[in-house]
Amino acid sequence: MPTFDFTSLLWWGLPLAAAPIVIHLINLLRHRVVDWAAMEFLLASQRKYRTRILLKQLLLLLLRILAIAGLVAMLAQPRWTSALTSLLGGRRTVHVVLLDDSFSMGETFADAVAGGETTAFGRGRRMVERLLEELAATPGRHELSLGRFSQLAAATDSELPGDSPPAAASGSQPSPAETDEEQSRLFDLRGEPVTPQNLTRLRRAVGDCRLSAFATGPTAAVRAAAAVFAGHDGGGAIWLVTDLRSRDWMAAEDTVAALEPLAAAGIEIHLVDTAAEADEPATTTDPLPRPNLAIEQIEMVGGVPASDVLLPWEVTVRNLGPEPVRDIPLVIREDEADRPGVQLEQIPPGDTATARFESRFPAAGGHFVEVELPADRLAADNRRTAAVEVVNKADVLIIDGASSPNDGPGDAFYLATALDPGAAAATGLRPRIEPPRSLATLDLDRFDSIWLVDLPRLDATEIQPLEDYARRGGGVVFFTGPATRPDVVNQTLFRDGAGIFPAPLAGAVDLLTDPRNPDTPDIIAEDHPVVAILRGRRNPFLDAVRIDRYMAVERSYQPPPDSGLRRLLSLRNRAPLAIEKPCGEGLAVAILTTAAPAWNSWARNNPSWVVVMLELEGQLARLRRRRENLLVGEPLTLPLTPGVDRIDVEFLLPPDGLLVRQTAATTPAGGLEARLTDTASPGGYTARWQTVAGEPRERIAAINVNPTESALDRIAQSQLARVLTGVPYRYERADQLEPDGASRGGSSLVRPLLVLLLLILLAEQLLGYLVSYHPVRRRG
Amino acid sequence: MIPASKRYLPPEALARIGRLELRARTVVDGVLAGMHKSPYKGNSVEFLQHREYTRGDDLRRVDWKVWGRQDRLYIKEFEDETSLRLFLLVDGSASMDYRPPRFAQTSGLTKFDYAATLAASLGWLGLSQGDAVGCAVFDDRVRASVPARTSRSHLASIVANLEQPRQQQPSDFRSVFRSLGETLPRRGLVVIFSDLFGDRDDLAKGLRLLRQRGHDIAIFHVLDDDELDFPFDGPTRFEGLEMPEELTCNPRALRAGYLEAVEAFLADVRSRAATARCDYQLVRTGQPVDAALVNFLARRSRVRS
Repeated sequence: MPTFDFTSLLWWGLPLAAAPIVIHLINLLRHRVVDWAAMEFLLASQRKYRTRILLKQLLLLLLRILAIAGLVAMLAQPRWTSALTSLLGGRRTVHVVLLDDSFSMGETFADAVAGGETTAFGRGRRMVERLLEELAATPGRHELSLGRFSQLAAATDSELPGDSPPAAASGSQPSPAETDEEQSRLFDLRGEPVTPQNLTRLRRAVGDCRLSAFATGPTAAVRAAAAVFAGHDGGGAIWLVTDLRSRDWMAAEDTVAALEPLAAAGIEIHLVDTAAEADEPATTTDPLPRPNLAIEQIEMVGGVPASDVLLPWEVTVRNLGPEPVRDIPLVIREDEADRPGVQLEQIPPGDTATARFESRFPAAGGHFVEVELPADRLAADNRRTAAVEVVNKADVLIIDGASSPNDGPGDAFYLATALDPGAAAATGLRPRIEPPRSLATLDLDRFDSIWLVDLPRLDATEIQPLEDYARRGGGVVFFTGPATRPDVVNQTLFRDGAGIFPAPLAGAVDLLTDPRNPDTPDIIAEDHPVVAILRGRRNPFLDAVRIDRYMAVERSYQPPPDSGLRRLLSLRNRAPLAIEKPCGEGLAVAILTTAAPAWNSWARNNPSWVVVMLELEGQLARLRRRRENLLVGEPLTLPLTPGVDRIDVEFLLPPDGLLVRQTAATTPAGGLEARLTDTASPGGYTARWQTVAGEPRERIAAINVNPTESALDRIAQSQLARVLTGVPYRYERADQLEPDGASRGGSSLVRPLLVLLLLILLAEQLLGYLVSYHPVRRRG
Repeated sequence: MIPASKRYLPPEALARIGRLELRARTVVDGVLAGMHKSPYKGNSVEFLQHREYTRGDDLRRVDWKVWGRQDRLYIKEFEDETSLRLFLLVDGSASMDYRPPRFAQTSGLTKFDYAATLAASLGWLGLSQGDAVGCAVFDDRVRASVPARTSRSHLASIVANLEQPRQQQPSDFRSVFRSLGETLPRRGLVVIFSDLFGDRDDLAKGLRLLRQRGHDIAIFHVLDDDELDFPFDGPTRFEGLEMPEELTCNPRALRAGYLEAVEAFLADVRSRAATARCDYQLVRTGQPVDAALVNFLARRSRVRS
């Protein structure tokens, strides 16, 4: 229906439409008198055309009234809410707008309205503003609720971790929001009446909505919206303002299931597409591709994060577009300082490419490494941060249970020498040789890895901390030897697979020589990252290792399929020499020979010994460091030591170092933990606290966007219709519903009205001409 | 060739000439000045008299014998020609007094003024030719009349008759034409100057009566331009000159119907005039009087020849 920008002008001006009637009446009074001879003909004409004349005069009067009314209406700036009002219908009063604020909505487009560039989120926000204007201009009471995907995801527990933010300020895991109060808190606007009076406030609220770094799908938001309609017996409309990415909609059973009851309740469902482009095909079953490069991962792939140690990094970039991309420069920053960049030569479509670079930090402490891609359609995934805690030396615990210092160089010595060869080759490691009882007394979490060499026995008080350490992500390496008692190991450490030891032992055996193949190497490197450097070609160093004796695994042992057991090294008789077993978040590795060159010659002047040990240590230590690379929305937990650390923790949030204070709480397991849930911004986070003794402590973490959201490919309309079979919906394009400049919404009726007015005036002139006399000019 | 607009006296100029007699003479002078032969040419065996040649006379009727003897041009006139009796019958009813409200744009002559001027002009022309000319003004009866005379000074009597005050009653053609038919002593040319507003059946009967008396009839149907074009605009109250009705209306709306009715009226009048074998000529008051006169004479000439 039409609305007017200047309604008061309409009410003041419309009475002017009566002017033709008034003028007509005045003219009837102000006639002139003519003494007329031919009255006979005049009366005949009057008798004949009385009805026609009356009708013509009435029509003429009507046209003049319409002309004035049309002029007044035109000056009152009418507009027809055709685009949206037809959607609004006029009957519904409850509208729920669900605004997708996942970071894929940051895809940029040319801004047809304001020029320059806009984002899909900007389009969506402008469409919501337009909707507000239309609702305010539409008679009747309209209530509007506005919620963002990222916020509403906290209303349900359906989303995967890392895909949704935790419940705001709740300090706990996301949980279903059941009460109205919680619902109101999750929505940016809840049941707000949309009137011209509070339009400014509502628009401001929409303008305050910001694009998030989350990767939230629509399901949780739709479920949260259902709560708004609960108990509402009238109609309503739900506006899903989203970019219709394939990953959210190609397999959207949950979303469809959430929409079905709404549709059944008569709620109109509008899918407002914010990322549509004019040249997109509407009918295809394949996703509509969009070019985008995303950094999927930055990982330290070796080395020990110690001061002045060269750390190797690997950055993985995925090409999510349909075309190969070449010559991609990567900007590298260490603690916000630019470092020499690297370049990726080519990434095939849909594939990844990896670049390696190195960093070296002179000082101990928390450091951030950041890699950035050139600008493309989506900015949020062009930058990724990694955190590394650099220490002066990384402590490695070596538990030596058999040899004593008096016996000369033993297993621990050779191992410690391999891990810390000396100043000439700085590994950053600081081996610390301790007896088995230290497992019960030391804080094992301080150590990068724990190595146990030829232990005759461990009691339960020593095994428990060791296993806990491994489950928390620690790496444990066992070396066997003459002191190792297979039965004890099997009972205390293996425990039929429940323990930390990878496999049951049968006993020490000699590796028999093979007279037929005397040149066959004793050790075979398996397909494992630790020994990858030695695999695939004849390696003179590894081939030179001679294994005389080893601890055999029980011949009958068949590991369960899900045990995760992997071989690192095998003997030429196919017996395992080094095997690993996942243990919680950590890893346990058993090397079934001695560290010292007692049962073998490996540690005796063979460089491969040092290489493998350092690689193994790096592999085990990465398990612990990997946990610090979190995704946006995942809570940042900081374990503290009761009685040692104070409970007050300050978190510095990216990008501007916003200070958030948190108080550590006791965990169910009895530990102490500070938890930061507000991890909505990607970047480097810093936690600072003090010990009871007043010693300052600091820990850093990097939080990044979920790379799955970087796929910008979209679902085609035809495919969307198939996915939403059974759910009546209307598809709209946000860029076609955006308000222009100073628009109050609706389509301006000024131009059509002007045309109509001209037609009326033309008809009036024509009719006036037909009923009037126009003397013919006589020639001459 | 002189354009028609310059050749004839426009009614506006004629209106500025106050005296009807002078007006008539002016018209006739103009008519004669523009003609190269006399409008009348008679053929008869009964010689009446010689008359000095005047410009426009048919050279075939010059008496060449007299010219041979006296070296002067004389025209032979015969009994038939000199016995033409012209009777001017001018409608003096109220409807003839219509004066256009927009005086500045019209001649300012009422239909009666125009008809009287035309009648006087024709009378002077006839007198100039030696015809006997009589005149009567009528409405529902004959109000004033002068008998037919041939003397040139008779024009003054005709004009005086036309200028007499009138009663301005509606026309009654039947009774007027009947009484005239009975009183006119000899056959002649009866020229009627009227707007013919009135009972048209009575008009037809009256014309038939005159024809039955052997009169030749010519009708100058004098109508005002306004009556033919109906150029009125704006709310107007029309008050009948002869009828008691009045009508307040928007004239623009009624114009088409009015013109239809006028056309029907004219067609009817033409038809009835033709039936009665009358010479009919529609004259607009905006039309120059002398032009109307020339047209009439030309028509008469064609009829006679």
